[in-house]
Amino acid sequence: MKMTPSALVGGTLAVLFAIIGVVVILPVVSDPDLPSAQARPRTTQELEGRAIYIREGCQYCHSQYVRRVDWGPTAERLAQAGDYHYDEPQLFGSERTGPDLSQAGGQHPDDWHVAHFVNPRFTRPESIMPPFDFLTDRELANLVRYVQSLGLRDADARMARQAEWHAQALAAYRAGPDANVAWLHKNVPAGWVTVPNPYPADESSLARGAHVYQTFCLGCHGPVGDGQGPAAPNLDPPPLNFTTLRRAGVSGGVLYYQIMNGITGTSMPYFKHELESEKIWDVGNYLLVYFLSGRESGTDGQAIDAAFEGPPVPTWNPREPAPGSALLPSTSHQPRPEPARPEQSRGVEGLPATSPPPGGAP
Amino acid sequence: MNWLLPSESGSTSRRYFVTAAVWMVVAVTAGLLAAIEMVAPDALGNIKPLVFGRLRPIHTNLMLLGWVPAALTGGVLYIVPRVLGTKLWSERLGNFSVWAFNALLLLGVVTLGHGMTQGREYAELIRPLDFVVLLWLSLVGTNLLMTVRRRTEKLLFVSVWYACGAVLWTFVVYSFGNVVWDAQGALRGPTDALWLWFYGHNTVGLWLTPLAIACAYWIIPRVTGAPLWSHTLSLVGFWALLAIYTHTGGHHLIQAPVPLWIKVLGVVDSICMLIPVFTFLANVWLPLRERWGRIHADIGGKFVFAGTVFYALTCIQGPLQSLPSIQRVTHFTQWVVAHAHLAVFGFAGMIAMGTIYHVLPLVTGRRIYSRRIADLQYWVMIVGVIGFFLVLTAAGLLQGHAWLNGEMVYRLLPELNIYLVLRGAIGVAVVLGACLQLVNVIMTIRKGEPIAAEPPLGDLGVPLRPLREIPERDGAAAHLDPRPSP
Repeated sequence: MKMTPSALVGGTLAVLFAIIGVVVILPVVSDPDLPSAQARPRTTQELEGRAIYIREGCQYCHSQYVRRVDWGPTAERLAQAGDYHYDEPQLFGSERTGPDLSQAGGQHPDDWHVAHFVNPRFTRPESIMPPFDFLTDRELANLVRYVQSLGLRDADARMARQAEWHAQALAAYRAGPDANVAWLHKNVPAGWVTVPNPYPADESSLARGAHVYQTFCLGCHGPVGDGQGPAAPNLDPPPLNFTTLRRAGVSGGVLYYQIMNGITGTSMPYFKHELESEKIWDVGNYLLVYFLSGRESGTDGQAIDAAFEGPPVPTWNPREPAPGSALLPSTSHQPRPEPARPEQSRGVEGLPATSPPPGGAP
Repeated sequence: MNWLLPSESGSTSRRYFVTAAVWMVVAVTAGLLAAIEMVAPDALGNIKPLVFGRLRPIHTNLMLLGWVPAALTGGVLYIVPRVLGTKLWSERLGNFSVWAFNALLLLGVVTLGHGMTQGREYAELIRPLDFVVLLWLSLVGTNLLMTVRRRTEKLLFVSVWYACGAVLWTFVVYSFGNVVWDAQGALRGPTDALWLWFYGHNTVGLWLTPLAIACAYWIIPRVTGAPLWSHTLSLVGFWALLAIYTHTGGHHLIQAPVPLWIKVLGVVDSICMLIPVFTFLANVWLPLRERWGRIHADIGGKFVFAGTVFYALTCIQGPLQSLPSIQRVTHFTQWVVAHAHLAVFGFAGMIAMGTIYHVLPLVTGRRIYSRRIADLQYWVMIVGVIGFFLVLTAAGLLQGHAWLNGEMVYRLLPELNIYLVLRGAIGVAVVLGACLQLVNVIMTIRKGEPIAAEPPLGDLGVPLRPLREIPERDGAAAHLDPRPSP
């Protein structure tokens, strides 16, 4: 075959247009173009927020579809073509440097998003997202509306739930620290309240707990657990000052339940996807030892006689049998080693024994 | 007027090379700043034009529609007239297109920095600039086709096919992909993603690839003195590129909610991509036997050859990466970013740099100012391409496997840090390499040692007839005869 100018221009363009007919035109012609059960048109505010999302290039790091292989928020619902019926342009995204946002709406209350946009490290200390403090209040408000619309009708349902619980949470907070704690505990199923933390607050548990605390909790609850983290000024109700728990006391089970499931209506997120079971218990130990009395309340204090229990540490609990006998199988529940207080525990000697006034303003 | 739009032969190519050298520095600097933000997100915090989401399209657009095509366009605007035994149809028009192109890039950077974007990956430029792109493509296309019309050499060398094809096809692909008739530049619903990735993939496939191949097809035979291997392979490679590459956009969406048939088409054609890729590589690599030394004696040839090696690697990885079983791990991760750097920086970018170094002496009549600087740049770029590729691939595998195992995106960020730091460090080297090139290009034009500038008309630079078609009677010397055999 000899290449001629007509083959080069006419021939190649004929081939190109034939292919465009198949891969570009045919998908449009054959598209059923039906909205899914989840889809709805967006409000003006949401659309303005979407324009900011596009303007700041959020789609380069955040995808907007859930795949079959995904874990994480709402991974049980795969993305459907009809979910994107009203979107122009689509914002599927091609990278996941940040989490998928297709179902982000209603996962957090609005004030969490505001704190997160002002500086993402306020709420998520390890985040590498840019700060968006430069947005005007109006832009920020619209952007929050857009993010809260992700998931559309499903997001609306989640937002309704947030609003309902937010009112309760706010009322409880306004009623004072003791009422707030009572409300927080009331919402934990009874079965959890008496569950003790099954893991001793030993050095390794506290070290892991400290790591988890710094990675997930520090931004809101603050380095000393007083609820004065950098995100706090933007949050209402503000993050819990853990010392307000001292009077009523708290069990490992309550902490576990609240960390795992979050506290809907407040900025406390759920961590069931991000923290495995033991890490939640470890951070519970960390809270008890560093910010609370060091003791759980409301449980029978009985250790779970599990295979992972090491030999008891005599210095921590003189009531334990002498070393050596611990190797024998236990026939009855032993009292579990008491969690060490900061001043007694190894590895925390440099820590000042901070005890803010009980019930102090969070 | 004569300074603004000179009619002097070769001035268009020269100015495209300067354009490329300048914008490369800007493009890789934008990339470096974005890389720094991924390590230290508050370092440039709240400086609006430097928000990561605005920097990234500046970086990608300056690669895909910026310095790489500038260098390659400069190359083909010299190569095409030469293998056709004529001069460029209009140097003035060519120089006008250089100004249009620079205006486009300047406006592109300013608008993207101001957050004026259509938000679709690689199709971010706002609608008025879409029309500037199309205008620029028609200027270059007119110049190329009019040059073909007034050729004295009847045979169209393979570089001419690819150069003209790239400009023609991209005009069409760009119009569809950017939905230029729509105010928002997009369709409604998931179909928009199909159009976007039809365009996105063909920005590499029907734009950078044919331009780079056009330059490599001329430069490699020229530095080795050996003609291409086979005319049949040239034909197969050319038509297969057009017929196959155009179908592959669907492989960007195989996990997305779009019709299954288009994903299947995308994957199947991605595997078929091995045909055009290896016909090209066979055609330029087979005649290299026993001539390896000549490639590395020529600094331009060296860059171009490295580009073809990265082309081979990209296009072995690409088809594999389109498979659903591989994408399970790699999709959404830095692995894809590694692949993009291998393709655009390793393949098209290295050939673009090689084209500058090979053709610049031909259009200025001056030797490259410093071979040493060029060699240093070569090694910086080689380390850069391989470094980016290894670091980002490792990061991508880490992400992909961890996610499959149920790890959350957020908890993996601290583990990614070291890879992102290394990527930034390599970025520093690449920025320095780009500065070396800028110095070398400027100094060559100003102070390079003069040589005979214009080859006699009819010296096509390479033998047009392929190796396998040269009659036996001509003997070995025929390979070195620059003119076509009768």
